Amino acid sequence: MSTEVKTPTLTGAKPRNMWGVTGVPTGNLYVPMPAVIEKIIVETPDTKTFRLRLEDPKHAEWFTWEPGQFVELSVFGAGEAPIGFASSPLERSWFELTIVNRGKVTGLMHELKEGDRVGIRGPLGNCWPLEAIKGKDILIISGGCGLAPLRPAILYILANRQDYGEFWLLYGARTPADINYKYDLVEWEKRDDFHVLQTVDVGDESWTGNVGVVTTLLDQVKLDAANAVALTCGPPIMIKFATLALVKMGFSEDRVVTSLERYMKCGVGKCGHCCVNHVYLCTEGPVFTYAQLQEFPETRA
Amino acid sequence: MNVGDKLILRKSNVSDFFSSLQGEMQLIAPKKRFAGDVVFDVVNSPEEIVWEYGHDIYPPGKRYIFPHYEDMFSYRRGEQISIDVAAEAPKQAIVAIRSCDVTAVRFQERFFSTPIVDPFYKARAENTVLFSLVCNEPPKKECFCICCDGGPYLETGFDVQLTDLGDRFLYEIGSEKGLRASEPRQQYLEPSSEQDIAERKRIELHADSLFQTASYIAKAIIYITSDEVPDEVWEELGSTCFRCAACTNLCPICTCYTVDDRPEPDGSFTRCRSWDSCQYAGFTREASGHNPRPTFGSRVKRRFYHKASFQYIMRDGRHGCVGCGRCVSSCLTKLDLPSVVKKIRRAMHDYIEPKSRPTAFLQ
Repeated sequence: MSTEVKTPTLTGAKPRNMWGVTGVPTGNLYVPMPAVIEKIIVETPDTKTFRLRLEDPKHAEWFTWEPGQFVELSVFGAGEAPIGFASSPLERSWFELTIVNRGKVTGLMHELKEGDRVGIRGPLGNCWPLEAIKGKDILIISGGCGLAPLRPAILYILANRQDYGEFWLLYGARTPADINYKYDLVEWEKRDDFHVLQTVDVGDESWTGNVGVVTTLLDQVKLDAANAVALTCGPPIMIKFATLALVKMGFSEDRVVTSLERYMKCGVGKCGHCCVNHVYLCTEGPVFTYAQLQEFPETRA
Repeated sequence: MNVGDKLILRKSNVSDFFSSLQGEMQLIAPKKRFAGDVVFDVVNSPEEIVWEYGHDIYPPGKRYIFPHYEDMFSYRRGEQISIDVAAEAPKQAIVAIRSCDVTAVRFQERFFSTPIVDPFYKARAENTVLFSLVCNEPPKKECFCICCDGGPYLETGFDVQLTDLGDRFLYEIGSEKGLRASEPRQQYLEPSSEQDIAERKRIELHADSLFQTASYIAKAIIYITSDEVPDEVWEELGSTCFRCAACTNLCPICTCYTVDDRPEPDGSFTRCRSWDSCQYAGFTREASGHNPRPTFGSRVKRRFYHKASFQYIMRDGRHGCVGCGRCVSSCLTKLDLPSVVKKIRRAMHDYIEPKSRPTAFLQ
């Protein structure tokens, strides 16, 4: 086991939020900034990725974000929903949001076309501790559309590959048709410095890869748990079993980092929907270490 | 005239005083309605103010500063999206508001300004002056403010505090805002004598003696912070809840809200916020169907965790109960703070050995 001092910065990643020093360019926290849909990429039958550009150049100049943060997306005529950034943080002129067609807001969002307008409030929340984990081996475990909030982190790490050690991605989807970012996964699998393992819960005729839940892939991972950090995001049941498996592998509880999801309205710590015990996910989360989560009895599964 | 002054407002001058104030802002005060009900409403003249009333079940401070429905902005879809932010908040004075409701307003003001300032709440709160009225006796048998540090009179936190001394009010100025509302009406105010202060003290002591002494909130803090109340107890308590959300809607402290886009007849939309309740099953249900608080028990536990856990006390500066008694008089199945504390206490005896109870160190 490692005798190294714990890295407190892991839990202290605090990016600039929309209520930061300079204030919000719209003058009111609750008023969204208009954005144009530049491009729509169909990922799976129920998932699309929307490339958005803020319409007002002043807003675009003010708008900077970190991997792991999210925005409140206003679909005019339906309402707001919290959506995580899904594109490379190095690209500053546009950003992408990957959206599953599930509810009222996302349903109307899926009907929009390129050139239509939506509203953006953000960036909100804290971020993946990418600075603090430099030099460490990285293991990413993600399930379904849980790959979306991790994609900015993956693209950032790949762009700064020399700053990080071994790099593993385990990705599970329900069926081969539900795999997001197939175009990225193809490119990533070609790289020598990035180990990508995929699995599906249920295969089909053309699927030749792994079948089973994502935690079954952990046997194939060759990592020194003492010098590694795990980032996870996915359905609650996946996060639970992945976390337990990682702890069993020897990951310390403050080296397992996860991004939680809650129903959310305001995004600025007022409406009360996203509270986990006494913590407001929208301002103090959504990224927590497993050690932190132990302090919130409501997340104990 | 200074903050901290204790003056006298003769009852013969009350009408002139508030008529003059009405020239600057709208007056909201207890007013007789149908069938003898007294509720807070905008009064047209100070004669309509009912100074001796019980308790308005609809919390006036929350109602006029954080309204049940509040339009945030309206927008119009089209080539360009045009957004109009809601108009400025009206200037208003809430007169004869009870101490517990003033304490709750201060709680909400703190919540809505730390760490992030809510612009809509701030605009309304800044334009509101509170003229609170000391309770010479508990207005209702459900009141337990004395146990929750919510009343029946205030030491700090009021803008202006009035105490009924028979033919006159003791008029205390507690804030800059109260001072600004008082200064233009100096001619109606006169200095108080030592006798007035002594009379006030007598009223305080008398009012204190009329409350039942019970330490509901202290027990609730211990039980809930310890997190040792078994889930079975919460489920048992929650099994009687039929999620009408009266407890949270009538609570003068509860701040949770939801946001909706309301279509208007002219084709525009209004983004509107309205009170929401953690007692509803849909409060935490996500689009995927996953619900982190799936049971009645978990939601009832949530409500009391927010009211009385030490973690929230550290966040908000005080516990989330002012003892106004509204949940006591509204909950049909007795899931109010005093009853729940009593029930937990009884249940803990059945579930937990005395030596492992959170209060064991006291014995």
